[in-house]
Amino acid sequence: MVARSQRERLLDAAVDVVAAKGYGATTVADLTKEAGVSRTTFYEHFKDKEACFLAAFDTAADVLARRIGAAFETEEAWPDRVRAGLAALLESLAGEPQIARLALVDIGSAGPQAQRRYRAALQRMTPFFDEGRDFAPGGRRLPANTSRMVVGAVTGLVSDEIEAGRADRLPEMLPEVLFASLVPYLGPAAAANAVGER
Amino acid sequence: MPPTSSPNGNASPSRPVELSDLIEQERLPAGRDALLEPPVAHSQRERILGSMAKSCAEKGYGATTIADICTAAGVSRATFYELFKDKEDCFHAAMELSLADAMGTMVSVYSPDKPWATMVREGTAAFLGLLASRPTFARMAMIEAPASGERAFQLYASGKRVLQALLERGRDDPLEEEAIPSSAARAALSAAESLIVGQILTGNTTRLMELLPDIVYITTVPYLGQEEALRQAREAERELPADG
Repeated sequence: MVARSQRERLLDAAVDVVAAKGYGATTVADLTKEAGVSRTTFYEHFKDKEACFLAAFDTAADVLARRIGAAFETEEAWPDRVRAGLAALLESLAGEPQIARLALVDIGSAGPQAQRRYRAALQRMTPFFDEGRDFAPGGRRLPANTSRMVVGAVTGLVSDEIEAGRADRLPEMLPEVLFASLVPYLGPAAAANAVGER
Repeated sequence: MPPTSSPNGNASPSRPVELSDLIEQERLPAGRDALLEPPVAHSQRERILGSMAKSCAEKGYGATTIADICTAAGVSRATFYELFKDKEDCFHAAMELSLADAMGTMVSVYSPDKPWATMVREGTAAFLGLLASRPTFARMAMIEAPASGERAFQLYASGKRVLQALLERGRDDPLEEEAIPSSAARAALSAAESLIVGQILTGNTTRLMELLPDIVYITTVPYLGQEEALRQAREAERELPADG
């Protein structure tokens, strides 16, 4: 029976409060109330609301990246690895819709610092797709930015769904998200085949 | 490489796409002739909108105050409130102006008779050129607007839907129609958007045109296949202005 640390409670509070009222409307008072800590305690841990929010984002991004990475490693062939990684991403987000909102929607409205943090997190996903260059015949001829663009396609499809309030249905999107990920590397016919397998 | 014989070369007669109809359908401001960020902004209103964009680029929409805008535009607070209800109203007007320019640019290169891939190349080049020539408005429209409240977000989303509908004409290829998910154009557009936003955030807005071949590849590959998409990307590379 270990009480969660005050810092952890504040991070959880940031997830809950931002999901409920949006980043802009969230105040430090909301966070301390939700976490059951004093204002003084808050400022011992974080400089301001933004710092608390960014720490919550980093935690969520770390968890997601670990889950994607672990799932990716369970398979051999690259298209299967991508399928496993994306399935893990979609299931994680569907299981924790508030974290999904924070990590893929609210982060975009929390100012320039948050934008940079978000881009850095996206950048961590590119190696999963870069492997497609070695797998695909002629993969070396593909544009240098291919994996960055694929990450943009995946997060775009996913965040549209979250924004529309359908985070719970994210796992159903696996075929189209997988197609968007594979098509630049394999072309439409082979990508559609790979999506159809299993 | 005869584009006229390509199945993608012509708009399907069963699905005519008129850009002006799309723009109207989304209730977007029609294109206009005057350009933003002119050497001298004439009216007070234009100066205010320019200052709004500039301040957003420098410190973000959230941190921008009406006082910042008035100081930069050289107008009084009273003048500001004669023209705009509040900060959000002013931002919305600046965003509308940017979208009008973007749509005007698309209209100027659009023709239903052009082969689809040519339209994608020219449209993307025109759009990147517009953003590159007006870095402050590029930042406002691509980075601040989607995150600055419901009204601005809706405007941004409308602009995106117009581009998406244009991209979807690539589906006229009967070969792959069955297998391609309906979200393919939206995915490709998000891919391009993400690359553009990344470039703007790193302060390389004036070099956006360098992204043209990569964006042409990602937007055409679901419909044309890899070989033809790579060919289109090389074509786009050749069309880049020398010395970018």
